[in-house]
Parts: sequence; structure tokens; C-alpha cells
Amino acid sequence: MFCVVSFIVLSILSVFSAENRSLAREALDCVLRRVTLRPCNTGFDEKMKAKILGFVITKTETGARILNRFFEPLSWMFILLFLGSAFFAVRGVYLFYVTGSCNGLNQSGFCVFDPTGQSNQISNVGESCPVVLPGEDPVSLKGVNLSGFPVLNGDSQKRIVFIGSYGCEYSRKAYPVVRQLAEKSGASFTFLYYPVKESSDLLAKIGYCAYRQDAQKYWSLVDSFFTAERSQIEDEAFIRQTLTEAGYNPETIAFCANDPQTEWAVKKQLAEVVKTGFFGTPTVFIQNEVLIGPKPPRVYAIALDGLLYWAR
Amino acid sequence: MNIEKIRQDFPLLNSKNGHKPIVYLDNACQSLRPQAVIEAVQRYYEQTPACAGRSMHRLANEVSRQVDEARQTVAKFLHANRKEEIIFTRNTTEAINLVANALDWKPGDVVLLTDKEHNSNLIPWQMLARRFGVCLKFVPSNPDNTFNLSAYQQALQGGVRLVAMGFTSNLDGVSIPAEEVVRLAHKHGAQVLLDAAQTAPHQRLDVRRLDADWVAFSGHKMLAPSGIGVLYGKYRLLEAMQPFLVGGDTVASSTYEDCQFLPPPEKFEAGLQNYAGIIGLAAAIRYLQQIGLEAIEKHEIALNQYLSEALKSVPGLQIIGPADARLRGGIVSFFIPGVDHHRIALMLDQMAGIAVRSGQHCVHSWFNARDIPGSVRASLYFYNTQEETRQLVDALIKIRKVL
Repeated sequence: MFCVVSFIVLSILSVFSAENRSLAREALDCVLRRVTLRPCNTGFDEKMKAKILGFVITKTETGARILNRFFEPLSWMFILLFLGSAFFAVRGVYLFYVTGSCNGLNQSGFCVFDPTGQSNQISNVGESCPVVLPGEDPVSLKGVNLSGFPVLNGDSQKRIVFIGSYGCEYSRKAYPVVRQLAEKSGASFTFLYYPVKESSDLLAKIGYCAYRQDAQKYWSLVDSFFTAERSQIEDEAFIRQTLTEAGYNPETIAFCANDPQTEWAVKKQLAEVVKTGFFGTPTVFIQNEVLIGPKPPRVYAIALDGLLYWAR
Repeated sequence: MNIEKIRQDFPLLNSKNGHKPIVYLDNACQSLRPQAVIEAVQRYYEQTPACAGRSMHRLANEVSRQVDEARQTVAKFLHANRKEEIIFTRNTTEAINLVANALDWKPGDVVLLTDKEHNSNLIPWQMLARRFGVCLKFVPSNPDNTFNLSAYQQALQGGVRLVAMGFTSNLDGVSIPAEEVVRLAHKHGAQVLLDAAQTAPHQRLDVRRLDADWVAFSGHKMLAPSGIGVLYGKYRLLEAMQPFLVGGDTVASSTYEDCQFLPPPEKFEAGLQNYAGIIGLAAAIRYLQQIGLEAIEKHEIALNQYLSEALKSVPGLQIIGPADARLRGGIVSFFIPGVDHHRIALMLDQMAGIAVRSGQHCVHSWFNARDIPGSVRASLYFYNTQEETRQLVDALIKIRKVL
């Protein structure tokens, strides 16, 4: 069994050092012989065992004695450890590809491919700084009435629901990706605006009024708010200008936004958003998946169209 | 003999092998080279890299002069009658093969060997047995692996064409009583070839006193470059012998039908020779003569005595050959029943930077006949120290605790 361990270790070392390549080839020969039920006649295992023992004995005689005695069981142990770690490594790569995190969808924890955990970062509701995700995932659209929210391609079988805030850095990162995916795939796209700061309530009301007034122009307004400088979006002059550019009359929108009925309707909508159980933005519902934090584009595409999304 | 000063002449003994200084105890296989030999070889390649005995230009003349001088140096080293008795070969193996293939053999000719010959002095004769029906006979050693003179005398009775024996065994370092062996062989009309590969580097060789017909040895075991060896042969025998390898520089002239061979040694030295090796061999001999072969032998035996005594503290260790270390020259061959010899050698290298030989040392016949898988061989030379042998013993004690 030692041949197998050696082959694995030496193969990896061979990538970096030519010195180990001939040993790796010898180990491979040994492995092939073992697999075909022939004895390993190169003396490879003996040679390696002696070298290892020779090294260990200089550190600890007792260790060398134990190693010599339990060499075969220890080899087995290393094989099992290797298989275990190989399984978790492959699983990690797969999960990273599919969910954007080595640990699974919306799972925090260290991931070598995303060491800073960017794909899980969110702006917590009421805050603007990133928070660590809770382990459990109670977020769902179950019992949430989405009828009053802005929707694009409403008739499509595929569904994307995006909860985001113009003031949230991570929403701003995820929004164009998800929006483009919706456009490309023809999936219905529902936008649930949720302000991460108190002052952003105004934009909720403006958005509500704008959508009511003209659903077609509404999406260019949203696009503009997401692409604008973060420092500008609370600025009244900027809002007026953006509304104008989108084809709205700022006065009419302002009048509507100050209407108590609008305030009541927006509060009702925000209450519906809260019902999802979400805890930060962006939160994206695609088919049956909930994706929290800005994921790589492929993750959204996989959630919508499956692993072979690129073939469609 | 100032060993510390001598060791400074050997680059490898002054460098580090990884983090540990090397302890080189594989001298029976190949010795280390002193700076003087390295420089002699380098000088040849830098200053006179030309052919000897062919071209007429100054470089060629200089090489011819150096080769001639080297032949003279070897002849003096062996106390040969004349330098033409020295034939340069690649090594001992080639020298023995030369004799084996150059003599005329008849079916039933007997070649007498010991029971612990190196393959170099066994396989060539086995080939003759296959080709010409030559009969091989073996003189069994005494139980302690020393030479059995009475068995030898008995073996000579049946009529022997050639006695071909290792002068000093590479297995256990035991030397045969060569003078007596030759005297008895000649008395019975047999010729004698001595494989002196393990003798020439360690003892004074006097071919006139020995009266041996052929003596073969290698340069690489006695400080010289690898790829150079020597066959000494009595001139009248060489003259009568047909050449083995033939071709360039072995003939005075040739026609499409025939050729006229040069006298010895040229007729045995076909093709371009290893001039760097020949010049290096002469430098090595000069170095050895400076130290003195008597002093070398004395030093090695003293080391062997110390080592053999110290090895008694390693449980289960058995030394091959006589208990008296003085009879084993500079070689200590040992095994521990149940412990793989290669594993011991590898561990010695890994843990202490000690280089020893493990296996059957090209004496498979001896090991196979006794069903011993192999041994570890520590072979000493004049640059080895007592401290180094102590390191070997300490490492073996540690290994024994683990294995």
C-alpha cells in the first residue's frame, strides 16, 4: 500500500521538482504491479521505507521504531486520509463552481478560491457594513405577495426575484449581473427594493410612484440608481435629474412620493419583503434557490438553467 | 601518515553532503580522487587533448611521451621487468576478458578458481566453458572464508591449464597466499592470473617476486579516473598471445588480405586509448607512492581492527570472513539475519551520510550457495578515520534498535 501513497505524494512533488519524477515513475510501476497482483520487484517500497526511517531516526528513535513496526497500517491510514481529503477537495471545487463558495451555497467559512468571502458578503438590513452570514437559511418567498412589485417579463416560467438596495455595495455588484441574466434568458425579473439605511426610504417611494406611473421607463431609472455614485443617490438634485433623464416629471413623482397613501403602500411592500426572512442585501431568488450575497455570474446562471447553462 | 593533511587533498571530504559531511566507506567499489589526479586529467584536456602514437604534431608527441611515462610508472609500481608488459585496458574486467579470449583453449582445459570470485573473474571463464568446453573447478574456502591451501594443492593434481584467482576478495578482504599459489601452480605446469583489483590499491605488488603470469587491476579503486585498468603479462606470454580486440593502432601495416600486428603492448590496445585515464592513473600511482603502500596497509588494518571490535556491540551482526580483522585488509562485510541489507545501507546514508555498499557485491555465486541474501560492506581506505568508523558503529546501533 505504501507504493500508492508514494505515487500520490511523489506525483504531486514531481510537478515542482524533476528530481522526484523518476521516483514517481518507479512508484507507478510498483502500483501497476500491485494492481495486477504481481510483486513489486524494484525494491521501491523498501528503498523509500529505509529513506523515511533514516530521516525519522535522526529525530526520534521511538518514532522510527513505531514507524517501522506499523509501516503498513500507517500507509493505509495515509491512503484513507488522502481519499478523504481528495473527496473534500473535489467537493470544494464543485461547490465553488456551482455556488461560489467551497462550503456550499450561502455558507461562510474559508474558501481558498474566494479567500475574502466576497461572494457571501451582504449589507445587513439597517447597516451598510458586511456581516457574517447566519448558518441556517430560513429565507423564502413562501407566503410573500409579490403582486404589487415591479416585474419584467411577468409571463415567463422562469423566475428571478431580486431584493436589493441602491446604497448597498454588494447589491450594486450583483444587480447588473442578475439583470443581464434575466434579459438574456427571458426569465421574469421582480425587483424588491429594500433600503439598508433609513434615509433611503425616499427612493422606495420614488420607485413605487415611478413604476405606477410608467412601468416601461421604471427599469432605466433603476439601472441609473444602481450605476450612479453611491454618494449621489441620496442627493435630491441628482434624483430630480435622473427622473428627468428617465422621462419622468420630477414634480409629479415628488407629489406622489409625499402622498400618505404612497407611504402606506411602500410600508406594506417593505413588510412583504421582510416576510421573506431575508437579513441582508442582495438576496436573489432564482427558481427554488436563494442566493445571498453577490455571486459570480455563473452561479446565477446555474441556478436558473442548471450546470449546462452554457450549452443552452 | 598525516590523515588530516591527506584528507585536504580530497575535494569530497572537504565538502558537505546535504547537511552532513560524507563518510565514504565504499572504497572497494571506487575510491575518491585527490586533487592531484583531478588536475592531471584536467591538464590533459586543457593542454594536450590529442592522440598518442599516431599524429606527429607537438600535442600528439607530448601525449605519447606522457603515456609512455605513465606506462613506465605503472611498470615500476608493479616491479615489472619492462614497460611493454603493461597493457592499458578499461578495467580489471576487460583485462581478464582479454586473457580469457586471447589464449587458445581446448576442450577439457581446466581453469581453477576460488569459491568467492567476483563475477569479473567468473563469467569470462563460464563463457569459455560454453564455447570451448573448458572445465571450471573451484577451490572451496575454509569455514572462515580464508584460502584453503590443501584443497588448492589437491585441485592442482588433476592437471590445470590456468589458475585465475582474486588476490584479495572484494567480499571479505581476505587475500590469498599469492606467492605460494603461483609457485604451486607453476610446479604443476599451470599459468596464473591474479585479479588484483582489491590488492593494488592497498598492498605493495611485486609481480617479479610473485612470478604471476598475469595480473589485472583497475584504476578507479586506487584514486585514478574511472575507465582505466591494467593488465600485466609476462612479455613472452604476451608475445605469443593473439590479440583480443583488434583494429586501429594494433598493426604495423595491413593489406586487403592480411595484417602485421605490432608487438606488445600495442597489439592489445586497439583504438583510441583513454589518455586522460592513463595520465590520471600515473598521477594516482605517484600519489600512492608518496604516502607509501606499506603505511596504507597498516592504517587500514588498524582501522579494521577497531571497527571489527566496535561492531561486536551491534546485536546480531555477523561479519563475513575470519574473526581476525588483520586478515581482512580494509573490508568489513556484515549482515544481520532478518534485516534487509539494502535498508541498512539506505538508512546509513540517510541518517548519517555514510556511504557503504549493500547487496551481493558481484559475488552472487558465494551468497547463493549459502542462501544469504546479501551483506553490507564497509570498505576502508587510507583517508578514512577512526572517528568515521565510530560513526558507522553508532549509526548501526541506532538502526538495530529500530529494525
